[in-house]
Amino acid sequence: MPHPRCQIADHTLSRRRMLGALAGTAGGLACGGLLQPTFAKELQKSDKQMLLVWLDGGMSQLESWDPKPGTQFGGPYRSIPTSLPGVHLSELMPRLAKQMHRFSLVRSMRTEDPNHSSGVGKILRGHPKNRGVEYPFMGSAVAKLLGPTKSGLPPYVWVKPGNGGFISKHAGFLGAKYGAFALGNGKPPKNLVRLDSITVEDDLARNALREKFNRRYAKRHPPNNSEAHSYVYDVAQTLMKHSDLFDEATLSDRDRDRYGRTDLGKHTLLGRRLIEAGVRFVQVQSYGWDTHGDNFNAHASRVPKVDQALSALLEDLDERGLSERVLVVVMCEFGRTPRINGSVGRDHWPNAWSLAMTGCGIRPGTVIGETNADGTDIVGERYDIGALFHTWYHAIGIDPTTTEFMNGTQPLPIAHDEMQPIRELLS
Amino acid sequence: MRRLWWCLFLLGLPMGNLSASELSLSSEIDRLIHANGQPEKFASAANDEEFLRRVYLDLAGRIPTHNETATFLNEKSPQKREKLIDDLLAGPDFPRQMAERLNIWLMERRGENDEWKKFLRSACEENQSWGEIVRRIIKPDDSNETTRGAAFFITQRLVSRGAMAPIDVPGLTRDVGRLFAGVDWQCAQCHDHLTVDDYYQEDFQGLHTIFEKVATRRGSKFPAIDEILMSAPQEFMSVFIQEPRTTPPRVPGGSEIPIPEFPKGEEYEVAPDRKKRIVGVPKFSPLRELANGLTTTENKLFSRNMANRLWWMMTGRGLVEPLDLHHTGNPATHPELLDLLASEFAAHNFDIKWLLREIGRSNTYQRSSQLPDESETPAPYEFASEKRLSAEQLFWSVLIATKEFDRLAEPGQSIEDVVAASKDLQTLRETFVDTFANPPTEPEIDFEPSVKAALYLMNGDGVHKLIAPKDGNLTHQLAKRSDAELTDELFLAILVRRPTDEERKDVQSYLAENEVRRESAIQNLIWALVSGTEFCLNH
Repeated sequence: MPHPRCQIADHTLSRRRMLGALAGTAGGLACGGLLQPTFAKELQKSDKQMLLVWLDGGMSQLESWDPKPGTQFGGPYRSIPTSLPGVHLSELMPRLAKQMHRFSLVRSMRTEDPNHSSGVGKILRGHPKNRGVEYPFMGSAVAKLLGPTKSGLPPYVWVKPGNGGFISKHAGFLGAKYGAFALGNGKPPKNLVRLDSITVEDDLARNALREKFNRRYAKRHPPNNSEAHSYVYDVAQTLMKHSDLFDEATLSDRDRDRYGRTDLGKHTLLGRRLIEAGVRFVQVQSYGWDTHGDNFNAHASRVPKVDQALSALLEDLDERGLSERVLVVVMCEFGRTPRINGSVGRDHWPNAWSLAMTGCGIRPGTVIGETNADGTDIVGERYDIGALFHTWYHAIGIDPTTTEFMNGTQPLPIAHDEMQPIRELLS
Repeated sequence: MRRLWWCLFLLGLPMGNLSASELSLSSEIDRLIHANGQPEKFASAANDEEFLRRVYLDLAGRIPTHNETATFLNEKSPQKREKLIDDLLAGPDFPRQMAERLNIWLMERRGENDEWKKFLRSACEENQSWGEIVRRIIKPDDSNETTRGAAFFITQRLVSRGAMAPIDVPGLTRDVGRLFAGVDWQCAQCHDHLTVDDYYQEDFQGLHTIFEKVATRRGSKFPAIDEILMSAPQEFMSVFIQEPRTTPPRVPGGSEIPIPEFPKGEEYEVAPDRKKRIVGVPKFSPLRELANGLTTTENKLFSRNMANRLWWMMTGRGLVEPLDLHHTGNPATHPELLDLLASEFAAHNFDIKWLLREIGRSNTYQRSSQLPDESETPAPYEFASEKRLSAEQLFWSVLIATKEFDRLAEPGQSIEDVVAASKDLQTLRETFVDTFANPPTEPEIDFEPSVKAALYLMNGDGVHKLIAPKDGNLTHQLAKRSDAELTDELFLAILVRRPTDEERKDVQSYLAENEVRRESAIQNLIWALVSGTEFCLNH
């Protein structure tokens, strides 16, 4: 087992050479380069998208997806029946319970890392075998594998509380440009709106001039820097065209109420709009789930926010016909201990936890695996995060057995190469 | 007569009238680059314009002003390039640019500190040897007001950032290895490196133990550290082989530092006193041993690391890449050349200016960056590589390109004086760093254009204010010129070169189409060049 601290890139090849390997056409930035060309072309046509809801700190499975009411560790909340006969959720999730037939659960997650600092990275990287390189987070990986959609919007957008900016660290060995375009507090990036002193015509004219001069420069110099530079302007201009995405005035009161006027509600609603606008991968982040103390009150206040935002999202994706091609995943770095500690809290628990998913061909209403009566262990087969990455890659149309990353000349599997997808989830 | 001929002969030599040993390094560079390449594929020498812009950016940290450009292009002397290199190294911009560069390398955007800046600036003004600079960083002297800020390198890395990110001594250890010895020992913290044969856990642990005995001095108005008594070797264990081991402190690239034994009660020069809050000064200072052991001329890691970084600074490519991963399995592209640069650098007392000058004089440095043939990607050093402009280089260059500097400068004022006198320009400088620099801890190695920067150049008001017509700025001056004059001046001011015929046509037809709104058209042209690829690269 690799040591938790030993995860910094080994840089077998320099990033410069990585970028060199990415040269080629502008499509190289989006997709090609690291994939076999023919395969890359097929993928570029993909219309699959993904929305990941990340509950940072670790939501308790017992107060959400896998309740054990009336048992030693069950806590005070009851369970309620769902639209799926025989399946119960915590009473903190009444809206999702009514939609249980629309999504699926894995209740038999067993992962390795009980620490936040290293565990978050392991789950978001799909915990592949340690090859001395730093793997990309899922958003960066999908940005690399599928590229931006035709919309030209950044392929990986991260909606999070706190600061925004471009988070290149998520990209690992793929190289900085596959990092996360982070919208802090759901706010647009700075300088999104054209200055009043510049007319639309002038704006178009000067950008056309810039492109013309760039093309002349690019003819006499290696193409990759020029292309990378042009690409960021293209993305910037596309974002400007979509500035209404960030304008709260364009939101209906009804939508705001349905998703909830909470951070998570607002950010999930923005996530839906970003998906509709054509962002390939959206990650919506919720912080503060690390309930070592006062676990039950914390979950009583937090889980209903998830319930509200997610149920509205599921309705909308279905209504708009998006659920066929948008994969939604809800997860965290681990669950929480069945044992209730001295501060009425639950601690870190990678041994037996749950996550949820829907859309994009995931067979709806499937519940994979189960825990024992007390929720202290998994009964039967257990899954590490690698199996889930295989499943999700399959769902969005990438076969992890035939697709590889290239780190310079080093081919690397995109998901743990000793694991398999969970077939029951794939239709 | 004979003597005159001899003089002319000497002047005709590419190296001019240098001593024999100095004559050898820049020509040796070319000889070794030739020996490992295909000289028939080499790009031709950079023309004067290309060379001028490059050498100004590298040694002055900015593009040349209009006058500087004109002076150089009109100069007929065959030695004018050598002379320019010497002038720039001796000029007032060099210390500013070198201090900015060292700050970016060493702090990796972890924050600013006036005392640290003062230290770097004075070191670059006095052209202190790299050995001296590093000794002051590793073992800061709190009694020296000019250099004590050097402690910022250590103190800023020992800042605790909340419970999730406690004080990071392993991170500091790693950075000392990376930045001063060119070795990234991160993975060797817990075990011998898995894929690098010569990175051992005891190397990491031996360095780590030194920094474990360092404490940031609380309540000090300037960055300062204290050392805590070290009396026993470091115990450690591999996560793979669970056997306890020990190591005394170790110098990267050097040897073990024995821990001296003192009779009890005699360990301190200044005894600690808790009541008086005196930390004490132990007689044995591992930091002093490290500072001295690291910076000897015999320490190959030390001289190779900086020789490689200075080479990278000038040519855009490290002989060893990544810059912080020197090991036997990752040899230099030109091993002989790296050995030579490193040994000569050490032999010249780690004189940064001297090495930059030698590299700058080589034909390798002065090669064109234009591809000889579009269809083929050339090998390293067949042509000059493009280099990223730092946020600082961009800032100073934009002030010159838009002639904001010319507009504001009183006679004899330097560009720094001009900025120091303007609140707006100081704010603009901060905005540039915020916009164009990498996030903290990300080394600034490659050109990484960002959407944030593109949005800023398109819609931020900073650059637009510089382009808006004002008495004496570029927009204002160009408006008074004929179309033909305007085109040449536009390109010379911003890109430090004359336009090509195609570009002339581009500009003049655009101006003709926009005759009625010429002032806006001029602003659009300036903006297009300033925000274009060519401007934000050093090529």
